[in-house]
Amino acid sequence: MMHEGTNGEAGFLRPLINAYSSLPLHGITAIPGKVSGALMVAEAIVDAVPLIHGPIGCSFQRKINPFRPYMPFYETPCTDMNDLEVVYGGEDKLRVGIKETFEKYHPNLILVITTCASDLIGDDFKVVIEKTKAKGDVGCEVVYTTGDFTDKSKPVGYQDALYAITDQMLCNGVESERTDKNDGSVNIITFPIHGAGLKTEEMASMLNEMGIEINKVCFDHTAVKDLQELSKAELNITDFPMAWAKRMKEKMGVDYFSTVQLEEYQNSEDAELLSPYGIEGSVRVFKEIAKRMGKEGEAEEVIEQRKKHMTERLYKARKGVEGKKVAYNGMGGLHSLELMLLQDMGMKASVIIYNTRGLERLLSESAIQEVLNISVAWAREYGSDPEVLVNPTAAEEIKAMKRTGTDLAVLSSLTNPVHEYNKEGIRTFNPMDFMLHHQRVGFECAIELAMLLKEALNKPKTRNPLLCMLEYDPYRTSMIPQWAKLADMFAIIREGAIGDRCEI
Amino acid sequence: MTTEELKAREGVVYDPTQDCKLVGAARALGGVKDAVTIVHGRPGCHCGVLLLRALGSNQNDIRIVSSGLRAQDMVYGAEGRLTESIRLSYNNFKPALIAVLNCSAPAIMGDDVEGVVHIMKDEIAAEIFSLSTGGYEGPAWLGYEETLAELTRFMVRSETDKEKDKDRINLIGFKQDDFKAYSDFLEIQRMLNGQEIAVNTVLTNSRFAELKNAPDASLNVVLGGDGLESAKIMQEKFDTPYVVAPYPFGLDNSIEFLDCVTKGLNKETDHDFISAEKEKIKERVERIFLFLQGIYDTSVAVVGDGGRAFDFARFLSDELGLYVKVLAVTSRNHVSGDKTKCDYVGSLLMEPDRLEMNEEIRKKGVEMIFGSSMEKKLAYELGAPLVRIFYPIIDEVSVSDAPYAGFRGVPQLTEKVVNAIINNYTEM
Repeated sequence: MMHEGTNGEAGFLRPLINAYSSLPLHGITAIPGKVSGALMVAEAIVDAVPLIHGPIGCSFQRKINPFRPYMPFYETPCTDMNDLEVVYGGEDKLRVGIKETFEKYHPNLILVITTCASDLIGDDFKVVIEKTKAKGDVGCEVVYTTGDFTDKSKPVGYQDALYAITDQMLCNGVESERTDKNDGSVNIITFPIHGAGLKTEEMASMLNEMGIEINKVCFDHTAVKDLQELSKAELNITDFPMAWAKRMKEKMGVDYFSTVQLEEYQNSEDAELLSPYGIEGSVRVFKEIAKRMGKEGEAEEVIEQRKKHMTERLYKARKGVEGKKVAYNGMGGLHSLELMLLQDMGMKASVIIYNTRGLERLLSESAIQEVLNISVAWAREYGSDPEVLVNPTAAEEIKAMKRTGTDLAVLSSLTNPVHEYNKEGIRTFNPMDFMLHHQRVGFECAIELAMLLKEALNKPKTRNPLLCMLEYDPYRTSMIPQWAKLADMFAIIREGAIGDRCEI
Repeated sequence: MTTEELKAREGVVYDPTQDCKLVGAARALGGVKDAVTIVHGRPGCHCGVLLLRALGSNQNDIRIVSSGLRAQDMVYGAEGRLTESIRLSYNNFKPALIAVLNCSAPAIMGDDVEGVVHIMKDEIAAEIFSLSTGGYEGPAWLGYEETLAELTRFMVRSETDKEKDKDRINLIGFKQDDFKAYSDFLEIQRMLNGQEIAVNTVLTNSRFAELKNAPDASLNVVLGGDGLESAKIMQEKFDTPYVVAPYPFGLDNSIEFLDCVTKGLNKETDHDFISAEKEKIKERVERIFLFLQGIYDTSVAVVGDGGRAFDFARFLSDELGLYVKVLAVTSRNHVSGDKTKCDYVGSLLMEPDRLEMNEEIRKKGVEMIFGSSMEKKLAYELGAPLVRIFYPIIDEVSVSDAPYAGFRGVPQLTEKVVNAIINNYTEM
């Protein structure tokens, strides 16, 4: 797995990742299939090998990684299912395939990923794997993922593969009482599907200071052995709700905590629970972990001290940023950045842009409104009275930014015509870059943001971007008309798909 | 030297170097400039095909639509969704042709795709056809062949005087999404124009109406053997003869390409044109002759599709003097079998398993790789430069008019090869 430096000084890696970040794919014009998500899991485990039980296309085409197009899945062996297997069944081929995969790749785990073809013909994966293992043909763990274990939790393939590993390997036949425990320890599990979320050093050091040991950090050169030792910890800390963590709690008694507290938000409607970043978000996360670990007393002091120290640093760092007027997309806490702008940076919201096109497919009508309400409420809570633009044109956005004297547009070219703002003399800051390369639980992150914003406010202006030569869709303002059509069509075509839409 | 060995994979497990029928069909259809391709399948199939197209150099020309087949449709069928998708595609793009590619899931479920197409033909003013492209039905090259063959169904000979179409040819097997395809086509056209030959239709890099007029040409030129099946059908149906010509990588292949075409047209080759082109190449080669002497005999591997990899390897071996230790043909075509006795490569692998191929390349001590984006990791591990030539290329773009094919391609390729070697940073 590739790593960025702690300060984001990754040489070619950042621009490489960014180069592919404008692709309007996920849920906009297409949805990656379950195989891609499952392959992300297989690739994150250094001594695991996927075995795709399906035709060659399910292997070769999936080498192009939709989550990280810059980094193909180079190893995707398959069972090369053809029409004979579709008629007569593919169980024999799967059995031989598992054996051959072990002999060729010598892994500690084979992750069998089923496909449309093998799912529909009704191959009995479980029995094939059990028999193959019982026969002693393979000297490693074998797990299968179908995409059906986790009730369409997203991303389906990723959630399902981790659940399968937990259920079939980690919890299979192991009694929780018999597991050696690493008392007082936690696992930090980040799975940076889009970005570089492996920056856990600060979180780990904080937890250590709080008297909490780190059992494992995943996925960071994680091997099967590391996974097998996950259950030694008392708590799994994940970055968003994970079905596998619930399973491990049920079977092994290991509690879980998601830093994005979606379930708690649903009960309390406290939107800040969706934001684990920034000073206050991090404080809440650390306190919650301490509470779960029974360390509230000693942790309190550590957290307060660190907070005080970092807040002092932040106040110095944000000079020149504080009070500046900022335009951003209303995400209602879905990515936390707007809360950091208001809360940590002390910036003023001048314009909130809210594009609902495409969201209709993913969120219910009430959820769409709820997201906007959260954004507006936050802005007001922190002393701003922003102009709210719902599905504006680029010209309307620019007009509003000029009218309000906006200093900085925190908007990404994935969603907004950043080049047009630049041409009109409006400086921009790329929130996508921040989210991909910097955003994490911990206090340092806020200071980094302050420095980056200051840089953005002072950087040379881009006067005549070539991108301005193109014709764009009036509403999907970062897309040329053909892509906008694809996006509109996709939204209609996927309408009503189970699992696509969610309530907040 | 003769080819050492011809290796094919063994066993069940296959890490493929080639895609399935769906992608072959989608690639062929991508070159029909006013066609929409509907991927009737699960989201992964649609997403994969869309990504392949978008990550190439055609980000302004994506006509790939999903039928929106959802999880619940796996039970009740998705014929209604497909109907809606055809309708939406027509309303949004006003295409001349809509092609429905029926993927594994609906093919196994038994969706009546033909029935949907039949009904929709009455409703919309575009041609519609469907192809069965279940992943289990075969590799990409078969999907490509079948799609071109299907397109011949729409061809009609116009009633114009046949004589005036003399010296007009169709190019078959040209893939619009190959790296440098746009500039390669311009160069091929220029070379043909230099022989006073015009291009009638390109299968596929033409509008649908132009495709329909393909029988107006007096010769089909099958590039590297790709699309041979359609040339055979056209010969039978329209009496259009065909020749299989090399993909014009390098000087010799370019000359041979022109010779093939002129011979097929019963026409004298204009050697003055070729001599003038040779002169230009000579002047360019002279400018870097010391580097060319220096890199002589460098050991390389070529990993590419059967339609172009043989011709590319021949250029490297015969003209640049590189030692092609391994030629891995990632996907064959109908003429690949005839080329296996080639004497310009050391070891030949046909449709190898990727793991086995990588081991072979490692074992042979290769210093440079010519392949696709899929060879990036291997090249990195070997510390060898990778020159991207073959599909899929998702980590290099090409928007300039600098071809790899033809006479003008020779200096381009030569500078690319030399630079790939001498650009590297090293510490001794």
